[in-house]
This record gives sequence, structure tokens and C-alpha cells, in this order.
Amino acid sequence: MTESSPTAATSETRFSWERLRTNRNWLGFLFMIPAAGFLIVFLAYPLGLGVWMSFTDTRIGRAGQWIGLENYIWLWDDGVFWLSVFNTLLYTIVASTIKFGIGLYLALLLNRKMPFKAIIRAVILIPFIVPTVLSAVAFWWIFDTQFSILTWMMQRVGFIPEDFYVNWLGDATMARGSVIFANIWRGVPFVAITLLAGLQTVPVSLYEAAVIDGATRWQLFRHITYPLLTPIIAVVMTFSVLFTFTDFQLIWVLTRGGPFNTTHLMATLSYQRAILGGYLGEGAAIATAMIPFLLAAIMFSWFGLQRRKWQHGEGDD
Amino acid sequence: MTDAAQSSTQSSGQADFREGMDYLETRRQRLVNLWLPLGIIVLVLLFPFYWMALTSIKPDVELIDLETTSPLWTWNPTFKHIRILLFETAYPTWLWNTMMVAVAATTLSMIASVGAAYAIVRIKYRGASWIGGSIFLAYLVPPSILFIPLATIITKFGLFDSPMALILTYPTILIPFSTWLLMGYFKTIPFELEECALIDGATRWQILTKIILPLAVPGLISAFIFGFTLCWNEFIYALTFISNINNKTVPVAIVTNFTDGDIYRWGSIMAGALIGSMPLVILYAFFVEHYVAAMSGAVKE
Repeated sequence: MTESSPTAATSETRFSWERLRTNRNWLGFLFMIPAAGFLIVFLAYPLGLGVWMSFTDTRIGRAGQWIGLENYIWLWDDGVFWLSVFNTLLYTIVASTIKFGIGLYLALLLNRKMPFKAIIRAVILIPFIVPTVLSAVAFWWIFDTQFSILTWMMQRVGFIPEDFYVNWLGDATMARGSVIFANIWRGVPFVAITLLAGLQTVPVSLYEAAVIDGATRWQLFRHITYPLLTPIIAVVMTFSVLFTFTDFQLIWVLTRGGPFNTTHLMATLSYQRAILGGYLGEGAAIATAMIPFLLAAIMFSWFGLQRRKWQHGEGDD
Repeated sequence: MTDAAQSSTQSSGQADFREGMDYLETRRQRLVNLWLPLGIIVLVLLFPFYWMALTSIKPDVELIDLETTSPLWTWNPTFKHIRILLFETAYPTWLWNTMMVAVAATTLSMIASVGAAYAIVRIKYRGASWIGGSIFLAYLVPPSILFIPLATIITKFGLFDSPMALILTYPTILIPFSTWLLMGYFKTIPFELEECALIDGATRWQILTKIILPLAVPGLISAFIFGFTLCWNEFIYALTFISNINNKTVPVAIVTNFTDGDIYRWGSIMAGALIGSMPLVILYAFFVEHYVAAMSGAVKE
């Protein structure tokens, strides 16, 4: 504005255009618009709306009235809801623990020197690449009551009598075991491959030094691999727990929550109540009830990351 | 045996853990410690796909007869199920829908993420690090708690039962992830390049398109194919927002339109699952390294 300009109007427009081009905050704002737009309209807003809906009696095709805690009070006395909470915790804890165990073991195996390593690693990741629903459909057929290949194999091996048919998805315990197995099958590659990426960052010189000092194999794992891997384990397991806890697809394909709600997770129950039953408010309350658990998982990850900073000192990355 | 004895004396008191020390292990130990467990795990991981493929080419009779011939192989492969799937159902339409939604949603997210990642890492406006952190948090918000309110929003916008509903909501799953990934890539590009261009009078837009993007191509490929895979995989939004049979995506259609209890449908269901997985597996075969980079990059940061 201080420089002399032909007309006031052009200098005014040029000034704002210049400001837009050079001012960091304005530029940043411009570049952020598309991402922020999507995330605000379709992520932050629905997140808030979901919490609000949980305090209303919204139904499909009818706007809701504020009813306070009524949905939650209703759920508090609802046995099926508590069963779904129990199922979700059981599913998450059992599946995540086993996924971690097998995944870490597989990562340690893959970290060794071997021929065809790249191909083996690529093959192991396939269950993660194939859409969950489509592999779940394959499991549905594998767990068929009458024509299950697993039953056939067990009959041939002599594990069960010839005329005995395992009710894979029809019996409460078996159904829980079957869906957990399918979940582990699907999750192990992710855990293994990401942990393998973490293992490859551990400097070989540390192992060499420890071996010279006479460390055993277990000591190498316990005092070198594990501590250096802790941060990445924290992140990987947070994601694993998060995805397992909010799982919907596997259950919906395999059991739809049955038999007698024994495999209903909170996500599938909220779908059933909200979309199939039409009680959007109640479904939203079930979904909102998942948030505290998710926050706990995120805190876990955060502390894992903090520990990483502490380990590596500042200026890492 | 002498071989084993030799190496066991050599390796006494030592541990063979990392590559480079593996030669101390005997062949038998290696078989038991490495190849056997690895073989079992790979076998279990791949069996469902073998079963899927086998079922889709088995004749109907063999599907329900486990006694006369071994169910683990077939000598009479048939393309009947695949033919039924492709010519007597809307499967090609579903495949096309899935492809279109995945490409459109991934492209949209890439545009948004490139802008956001560049702004956060390079323009560093006030509060950039704070925004970066909240984008990571957005990554942790699962679709399972959003689909109910989203369904009402979609209906309000008049998008219910339209592919646009999916094209607009999928980016919320992809943007946090790909922004996070691209931030990592952009950080590795030397700042000096950008400063030179600024001194030469380039605009931020020119810097982004002429300098940053060409250098970040591997990151862009990783983000794109991983995003594409996530879109192809998505289920709960597609199940909730789409009800017209001609707008469905493959995962939803397989589950909702084939399950009429007919035992002979299994051949076609498995063929549908197989063909629906193929595009991703083929893409994966060409870009394995990018997938691994995308997965590990997202957790490492």
C-alpha cells in the first residue's frame, strides 16, 4: 500500500492477492480446504451428531426428541447389550493376544536369512489384501454345518467319529471360536509384516556385541529386540485392538450375531438396532458406548510413543 | 551327522539369531525351527483361497458329495459357476460400481491429502503440528461408530442409495491415512530445493506440482494403491447407504444377494469372492513393495 500505484482499486486487489500468495497462514488454509472439508463434514460432524443422537429417540424417517439418558438407562438393563460388551471384550482380548503372539513369532522367523524371502513375505500378506468380506465368505463355506471341509478332515484323521458333524457356527462356544479364528487369520499378516519392518531397523551390531559377550538367544530377544521393538509394538497393537474392537464385517458375514446373540459385537448390535430395527437413537447410544474403550486404546498408543521419545532422545525422526 | 557335531561344537555358548549367524545351525535344526512352522503358517493362511478357487470350479455334484471322491481336488473342472455369475447375475455391474467408487474416492482423497500434507509439513502455518496430530486422531475413528449419524446426513443430502454417498464418505477413511503417509515422504525432500524455487519466483502451486510431487511419486503410488484397497474392502458404509441392487459394490452384493440358502449357490458365491479379490491381488503382485512401505510407513511415523 505504501508504494505508489496507478489506481487505488487495483492496488487493493493486488494487495489481497499478494497476501494470499505469501502469507503462510492463508496459504496453509487454502491447501487445507479439501481435506478439512471432508473431515469436518463426514467425520467430525457425524461424530458429534452420533453422540447427540444417542440422547434422542430418533427413528428412521422421524426426527428425534431429546430424551436425556433414556437410551443409556434402557441399555443398562438390557442383557443383550451387556452380552455384546462381554463378547466384544472377549473377541478383542483373545484375538489380539493370539495375533500378537503368532505375528511376532512369524516376524522373527521372516527376519532370518532364507531363500525366497521376498516371495514368502508377499504370500503371507495376501489375507490382508483380499477384501475381508470375501475371505469371510470363504470361511463361511469352510464352517458350513454339513459340507465343512474341516469336519471332513477331522473325520478322516480320526479326530471325531465318521457320522459326527461339528456345528461350527451354530453352537455358542464353537461360533465364538470360529469367528475369533477367522479374525486371527485375517489379522496376523498385518501384525507380522509391520513388526518385521520394525525388526529390520534394529542394528545388527547390537546383536553381534551381545553374542560376543555370550548372550543367549532368549537374552538377545529379551534385552535387545523387545525393548527396541516396544514402540512399534505399541502402535501396531493399538491398531490391531482398534480394528478388532470395532469389527463388523466378519461377524456380519459369518453369524450375524447369532446363535442367540453369543457372537454379537457392539458394532453389529448397533447396526441391528439402528438400521434393521429402525431405532437410530438406541443404535447411536451403543456406538457411543464404544468411545471410552477406543479412548483407552488410543491412550495406550500415546504412552507407547512417549516411551519411544524417551528412548531415542530428542531429534529422532 | 559329523556336520552336525562340528557345528554344535562351534556354536557352543553362542546364539544364532540374526542373519549372518544362521550358518551355525544344522540343516535339521533349520527344518524344525524355521521351515516347519513357516510352512504350517503359510498353509493355513493360503488354504481358504485354495478352497475358494477349488469350489468355484467344482461341479455341483462334488460340492455336496464328500464321500465318493476326495473333496480336496477335482478332476472335472467346470466353468458353470463363473458363467452363471458373469452372465446371469448383475455381477459385472457390481464389479464396475466397486471399481468406479474406489477410483473416484481414492482420487479425491489423494488431492485432499497432497494439499494437507504439503501445508502441514512445508508451509507450516500456525497450528500445523496441532492439525497434524488431530489428523492422526481422525485415523483412529472407526466407521463402526460413524455409520448411523452418517446415514442420516447422507439422507439429508439426498445421496442415499447413490454411488456419490460412498465416493464422498470413503475419503474420510483414506485422507487421515494418506496424509500421514505423504507427510513422511514430503519431509524427506530437501528444503533447499524449495527455497531455490521460491527465490526464482515460483509460486507455492508451481513448487508443489513441479518439484514436490515428482519427487514423492513412490509415496503417491503407495498411498493410492493402499487407499484403493481400503475402498474395495469397505463394507459397513456400502451396506448401510446402498439398497438398490444396481448400485451395490461386490462385497455387499455377495453377502446380500447370493444367500438364499440354495446349496448349489456355493459355487457361484466362491467364484464371486475369487473374481472380486482378483483385481486387488493383481495390483498387489505388481506393487508389493509399495504396500509394505505404506503399511509400515503408517505405523512407523
